[in-house]
Amino acid sequence: MPPIRDKFTIHSKAVVCQDVELKGDITVGAGTIVHPKATIFAIAGPIVIGAGCIVEEGVILVNRRKEVMRIGDDNLFEIGCRVECPSIGNFNTISARARVHHTVRISSYCVIGAACLVVPTEDEILDEYTVIYGPAAERRIWSGRGKVQEADLRRKHAEYLKEMLPKFNRLRRGDGT
Amino acid sequence: MAPSVDYYCPCLAASPHPPPPHLPSSSDSFHPLHNLFFCEECDAVRCNRCVMVEVSGYYCPNCLFEVPSASVRAEKNRCARNCFLCPNCRNTLSVVPSDPPNDGYDRMSPIVSTSLGEPPFFLYCNHCRWDSAQVDITFEKPTGLAAQLQKFEDSAPEALEFDRLKEHFEPFLRASSSSSAVTPSSSHHHSNPITAAASSALARDIPGVSKYNPLSRSRSGRDKSSHKADIPDYKARMEVGAAAGMGAGGGEADLEFMRHLETVAEVATVEQRWVNSWVSSLHTDDLKPLRIPLQSKKSKRCPSCRHILIKPEQKAQSVRYKIKLVAANYLPAISVSLPHARAALETMKRSLNRSAAQSEDQSPAAAALLAGKTYSFHISFTNPLYDPIQVRLKKAQAMPAPGTEGAGEKAKRPPFQVNLPSAAFPIAAFAEAWEYEDDEDMFGLDDDDDLDGLGRLQKDQRSKTRTVGVVEKRANVTVVAGEVILTKESRGNVKFNMLVSYTYRSDDPDPAEENAMGTPSRHASSKPPEMKNFSFYTVVDLGTIAPREETIHDTDM
Repeated sequence: MPPIRDKFTIHSKAVVCQDVELKGDITVGAGTIVHPKATIFAIAGPIVIGAGCIVEEGVILVNRRKEVMRIGDDNLFEIGCRVECPSIGNFNTISARARVHHTVRISSYCVIGAACLVVPTEDEILDEYTVIYGPAAERRIWSGRGKVQEADLRRKHAEYLKEMLPKFNRLRRGDGT
Repeated sequence: MAPSVDYYCPCLAASPHPPPPHLPSSSDSFHPLHNLFFCEECDAVRCNRCVMVEVSGYYCPNCLFEVPSASVRAEKNRCARNCFLCPNCRNTLSVVPSDPPNDGYDRMSPIVSTSLGEPPFFLYCNHCRWDSAQVDITFEKPTGLAAQLQKFEDSAPEALEFDRLKEHFEPFLRASSSSSAVTPSSSHHHSNPITAAASSALARDIPGVSKYNPLSRSRSGRDKSSHKADIPDYKARMEVGAAAGMGAGGGEADLEFMRHLETVAEVATVEQRWVNSWVSSLHTDDLKPLRIPLQSKKSKRCPSCRHILIKPEQKAQSVRYKIKLVAANYLPAISVSLPHARAALETMKRSLNRSAAQSEDQSPAAAALLAGKTYSFHISFTNPLYDPIQVRLKKAQAMPAPGTEGAGEKAKRPPFQVNLPSAAFPIAAFAEAWEYEDDEDMFGLDDDDDLDGLGRLQKDQRSKTRTVGVVEKRANVTVVAGEVILTKESRGNVKFNMLVSYTYRSDDPDPAEENAMGTPSRHASSKPPEMKNFSFYTVVDLGTIAPREETIHDTDM
């Protein structure tokens, strides 16, 4: 197995704390916040994170496939979740301690509830506005009502973190090496 | 399964002896200590099965509003304010405003406004993202939702039907109320003002419901037969088929729906539908938000002397109790452990250096009770009283067969022999942590003077003697060791009943003597303290015996 070469491209407006474990070829977009103690491992292929995402503590983003793992804009990864899916759209929420397998492709406006395991055996694409909830990971389609307010709230969340996190944590700057 | 100790509650049974623990039905009378209460007047243990329970107040679990018991019946045991349950996932719904209509509001705008959202308001579930706009329920104001929904509920066909039924049966119920065949229940004296208010509210004159008269005697048979012939047939408000067509459920409409089903998710599950007593629609899209059912705070009384054991505080949000006579404050807390299991767990963790969760999966193999071996177990007693106590243990029943006869017997009951320390051992009083003199917690090393002379537990492998007796005394905890000898053919659980009796000094001075002597302070120390004795049964469960499969045998007992 070829050794993993680290190459971090972090946007100047992104906030990535010092204590984050990064490995491999990682690109972080503008306005994205990565909390300390997060883990982003681009083991076999690169990971590209879009703008305005919030990656909280204890989140594990792993890419074990050769293809690029693309994460879209304005996604929220809550504490302790583990995501391996090859493509994620915009405005998704992956709640605390959820697990998403590499066989799933998430589109936009989805909500994966807390502690849900999305581990289908075959490849699957989640439709837009899918909500996965409950201990048995039941699904339903959200009507989309309230999404403007939620988008607004997410933006406010990201702005607040962008202001506060650098005051209490050291930041890691992208170097490209 | 970890070894455990449960306490026996006689539940007003005639004989105080507990049932033998190998019977499956015996587990019903044994409870863990935190479930038990203690009545000081009767000096007895009470459990949840034998206490008298009465309601001390009703409250809504969402808004924590205390509902007076008179309105509980009027509101049909539901919250009358803005509290609703999501019909999909049973979570609480919250009232949210709708999005602003401007769809050109795209993500590129850097201006973040302080609050978006405008009426109409609707109910929204945060967990599954269901919202009431799917069933066309929206509100103009975010408060007073119950009143706004009341109009819909009252005009529902089921409510109108129920009202008609009530009107139809009202005259017959009124006429037969004087000859009601209700047997009077055991106690009508309402000592609690809440229940008195509730019963007077029940007896309030509601049209269609007869007055509950507990003191009437039944004149059965004489009037009832004549009344049965008098009731005319009831004509429903609408035909059943028509009701089905309107979506109330049942009939041809359901069949058609089922034939054209596309996904199972379109049908409402039984759990979502059986909240109402009548048949409701099968479609998931028709499920309406439910009002939150009220919950009650209960107070518990001793069944024989009617002393209050548990009385919660009146406020809904406080979880404390005004009166709390729990058994944990009177009986010593007992826990049992198998030291060889703990040692196996430690070595496995250290040698393999894995996480605790993984080693727990593999340790049952090393820590199980193997048939044919002898194990020692530690029982620790924690004294909750402010006085030291003397505890004496005794096996409660004769064990079915001692180990030597195990070979010839059918192993219906696991034959094993248990040795418990027979001498009484003291446990120190409960006091604050800083008041204890011995602050070294070394296991067994400081207790040279305190042991009964029964020896100390040997931990090294060379010596074969195992001791039965006090192992450790620390603060208000005493650990004693016993041993259990398993025969080769024993199977099942190792469970035995144990009688624990303890004596403690009660510090109630005798009032008659005090008056005679005049000044009690001078003579307080001259009276000997009276020792009170209390005993209770417990069942000790050490786990399941794993049968030995290898033919390698080491020393049998």
